[in-house]
Amino acid sequence: MSGGSLAERLGVYLSRAWNEPVTIEKLARISGGASRETYKFDAVTPGGLRPLILRRDPPASLIETDRRSEFLALKSFHGKGVAAPEPVILELEGAELERPFFVMARIDGGAASSPFAPDAYAPHAAKLGEDFFGTLGRIAAADPATLPIAELGDPPTLDQCWRRELDYWSGVIDADELHPQPIVRAAIRWLRRNPPPPAQKLSVVHGDYRSGNFLHDGQGKMIAVLDWEMTHIGDPLEDLGWAMDPLWRHFDMGRVAGMVTKAEAIAIWERASGLKVDLKAFVWWELFASVKGQAIWISSAKEYRDGGYKEPILCFSGWYTARRQDEILAERLAELAA
Amino acid sequence: MTPSVREVLTGCTVALMTPPSADAGPDYAASRAGMVSMMLGLATQEAEHAAGAAIAENADIRGVFAQCGGYDAALGGRLSAAAGEADLALDTPTLDAVNARLRRLLIELHEAVEAADDAETNRAIVALYGRMAQGRRMALGGGR
Repeated sequence: MSGGSLAERLGVYLSRAWNEPVTIEKLARISGGASRETYKFDAVTPGGLRPLILRRDPPASLIETDRRSEFLALKSFHGKGVAAPEPVILELEGAELERPFFVMARIDGGAASSPFAPDAYAPHAAKLGEDFFGTLGRIAAADPATLPIAELGDPPTLDQCWRRELDYWSGVIDADELHPQPIVRAAIRWLRRNPPPPAQKLSVVHGDYRSGNFLHDGQGKMIAVLDWEMTHIGDPLEDLGWAMDPLWRHFDMGRVAGMVTKAEAIAIWERASGLKVDLKAFVWWELFASVKGQAIWISSAKEYRDGGYKEPILCFSGWYTARRQDEILAERLAELAA
Repeated sequence: MTPSVREVLTGCTVALMTPPSADAGPDYAASRAGMVSMMLGLATQEAEHAAGAAIAENADIRGVFAQCGGYDAALGGRLSAAAGEADLALDTPTLDAVNARLRRLLIELHEAVEAADDAETNRAIVALYGRMAQGRRMALGGGR
């Protein structure tokens, strides 16, 4: 079915799914979430108005992701001490909307800050850092085997977490590289020569936990953790390394995520997770974070070209962000070679 | 390098000529326009610097090749051949094509250096990476 506006088709779908008349009001696409088309809307039902978010697969995606994993991640953490929005409905076949999508509760009143905005969280950066890294610690502390995310199956063994992730992201570079990238290639070889110790436990890994992927109230409190589409099971240090990547520091190299010092972030995370950060192992995950980032930016450059140059966000990611990531990778390699 | 200025400008044109869908709200349209504006600003930088950056990077890579004669036999004499070349055509597509060839050879050289456990040459190549990244640096607003 392709007739009617998106709002009309969504209304038809939800009316059938909820077995009651639903009309859609104020549907509007919002920016962000490069791997999904994201819309806010109100669903008007006999029981009242529900503020919701629609996340629909785009024709081209920045990263290949499984919308089911995002939905299960939200189910795993909503209402459990993590500000995960309530998942509402998952449609894998697309139905009236033609492409897979899911609907989740909308959390109004918060702000998302660009990681490229300087000093985005002042004057509440330290308080927000406590919430940001504390929340990540609570995600790491959870036992994935007891959560809905376990439905994904096939968890790695403790000693294979690193290899699974490195194989995946280096494979993305192999497939999508348009211009030879010696810097990230050198980093990949270093990672293979210097594997980290086995994970201390299996954790839910958000996969894109960073500044810019949450809503905050402007007073130092996170009110929604967003963009769970790369969630998987793995080493808890993976998310910590990604969250601390210099790319997400708002150009403030003294504060990770633009919030607190690295030592403070680790201390907060350790208190919340009950886990310890092995600093030698963490070096591996820090470098891996930059490799994974570069894989995503390389992939976005290819998708920008393959998709007919339509999405400016793909251009930005595959261009400015890729160049910045190369700087970060080169700095890390220099430290390791010293 | 990718995307090229030509591709970016094509993309900006496509974005500006494509009307927003009926479901795109004003916030999305404004955000998209802002992103196009940012791309045009970056394209200005790239148009001014891309050729110079490619020439400098190619020369820098050749300079490292010239210092790595010990690996030349293993790489079939390609290091010395590449080290002796110069950029004669100065249009960006040609410079990029040469740069791609040099970068591929640099990857091979670095692999050979690592296999030989040659820490000194490894540091020289890693230092080259730093200069390459700095040479291609782009700045957002405020010089960041």
